[in-house]
Amino acid sequence: MKVNLFILVLVIFFFAAVGFPGCPAPDAACAQTPEMGDGQVTGDGQWGRGDRLWAMGDGKSQDPVHAESPSAGEDVPARKDMKPSGRSQDAFQDEYKDEGQDYDDEPFADERVTIADPIEPFNRLMHRFNDRLYFWLLKPVAEGYKEAVPEPARISVKNFYYHLLFPIRFVNCVLQADLTGAGSEAGRFAINTVWGVGGLLDPSSNQGIELPKQNTDFGQTLGMYGVGHGFYIVWPFLGPSSPRDSVDIAGEYVLDPLSYFTPWYTSLGKRPLKMINNASLSLGDYEAVIEAAIDPYIAIRNGYIQYRMKEVQARRAKSLFFRNRKNAAPEAADPPPAN
Amino acid sequence: MQNRILKKRLIGCSLFLMLLLSIPAYAGAPLSAVENTVNRVLDVLRDPKLKGPTAKPAKTEKLRVIYKDMFDEMEFSRRTLTRNWNKFTPEQRREFVDLFEQVLEKTYLDRILEYSNEKIVFYKETMIGEDKAEIQSKVIASSKEVPIYYRMILKNGKWKVYDVVVENVSLVQNYRTQFNEILAGGTPEQLLETLRKKVKTH
Repeated sequence: MKVNLFILVLVIFFFAAVGFPGCPAPDAACAQTPEMGDGQVTGDGQWGRGDRLWAMGDGKSQDPVHAESPSAGEDVPARKDMKPSGRSQDAFQDEYKDEGQDYDDEPFADERVTIADPIEPFNRLMHRFNDRLYFWLLKPVAEGYKEAVPEPARISVKNFYYHLLFPIRFVNCVLQADLTGAGSEAGRFAINTVWGVGGLLDPSSNQGIELPKQNTDFGQTLGMYGVGHGFYIVWPFLGPSSPRDSVDIAGEYVLDPLSYFTPWYTSLGKRPLKMINNASLSLGDYEAVIEAAIDPYIAIRNGYIQYRMKEVQARRAKSLFFRNRKNAAPEAADPPPAN
Repeated sequence: MQNRILKKRLIGCSLFLMLLLSIPAYAGAPLSAVENTVNRVLDVLRDPKLKGPTAKPAKTEKLRVIYKDMFDEMEFSRRTLTRNWNKFTPEQRREFVDLFEQVLEKTYLDRILEYSNEKIVFYKETMIGEDKAEIQSKVIASSKEVPIYYRMILKNGKWKVYDVVVENVSLVQNYRTQFNEILAGGTPEQLLETLRKKVKTH
């Protein structure tokens, strides 16, 4: 009996000292709710759009943040007691000491991608050209177009252009040994051609069918087999790329069915419409990226390579050749640890 | 004697069970933390009393409180500066953190206020060690889906966001590259000046 009691006391002490594993966090989490009212569901405009190169993609986040911060100097003393989130005086005094290997949490270390940029002056020039093109031409036109054409129609136009490039996605799924993906693309093409009025609608994504889009290209295929970017290029009109990813410019021409039926110059006419239409569906995204950036050129360059790297990883995880290898795609391969 | 050993084992087993049982509750914490916060933001955005342009300052104020609670701006700043942090004096650090917050707020607040009933789904939580987690969510708009992951850290019993990954682009990584390049050729004071200008011109 005594032993029992002793153990019980020990247990209580143990938990008192260590903390009940289940408690602290949930408490903290829930505690916030009541004060403000609780909600549900979600949504948010700003991230909501996004398209094409990540750069135009949604304004990354909300980083919200707060700025009640009257700028530093003035209220240094006040700050001490304020301490909104553990931001105590000490935190500012603390030196950075290679904490956790340069803050690279193991699973995310691969995000530290870099790319050579030997032609930076040219790229910066092209970056500026594309930027002006967007603000002076593309954006005003897209805004007018947005006024004139209702959203469902614009989404249909986008679907249609996407549908046309089916051969690229299919061929690349096959080259990547992603047979499920190839099957899914073929199914989507058949269903959307017949039931989606030639690709204007996307019934394949509806519930019940749910054939996922395989957004893949030659750059990803090459990357999957170990071909590196080479270096960074900003193309006029097309934006961020690299020698490897530029293969798709050729691929798009060769495998785009329209390019066989029509003279080459019609594809020049097609691209602006595609650009305007896509821009009309993602107005504000590019602006957010630019505004958030301290050096927009570097922000876009880094965004581009991070984005492409993750795409290649995701494709590897689906490939018959790579999916069982370690490092293929850490996230996709390992199920989340239970604890 | 026999009896005692049995009892010990019994207690040992129940202890073990208790530990096991407590794990799931723990694992759900970061996800519900971020989900709660996002829901609070949505409540503000949907509040019928706060409609219209006149209510914008009130809305902004409410949102600011929520964000402050959700984000660990210190962690965010240090992670973007990494070794460069040491080049800053404590006063410069304080100013940096404040300015950086303002830049981010100015950029994203307007976009958040544009919110128009997109749906947000939180679908996966991955624990990374004991004090970090990644929460995966997606925003479903009429023309596309945008994946947004929140990386969280447990500090003083509270889960706080220290990085946001939007469409596969980690914000911390992105800013780190920018600050690295700027500080490779410039001084902390120059970076602060750039940030000051950025805050003013908005």
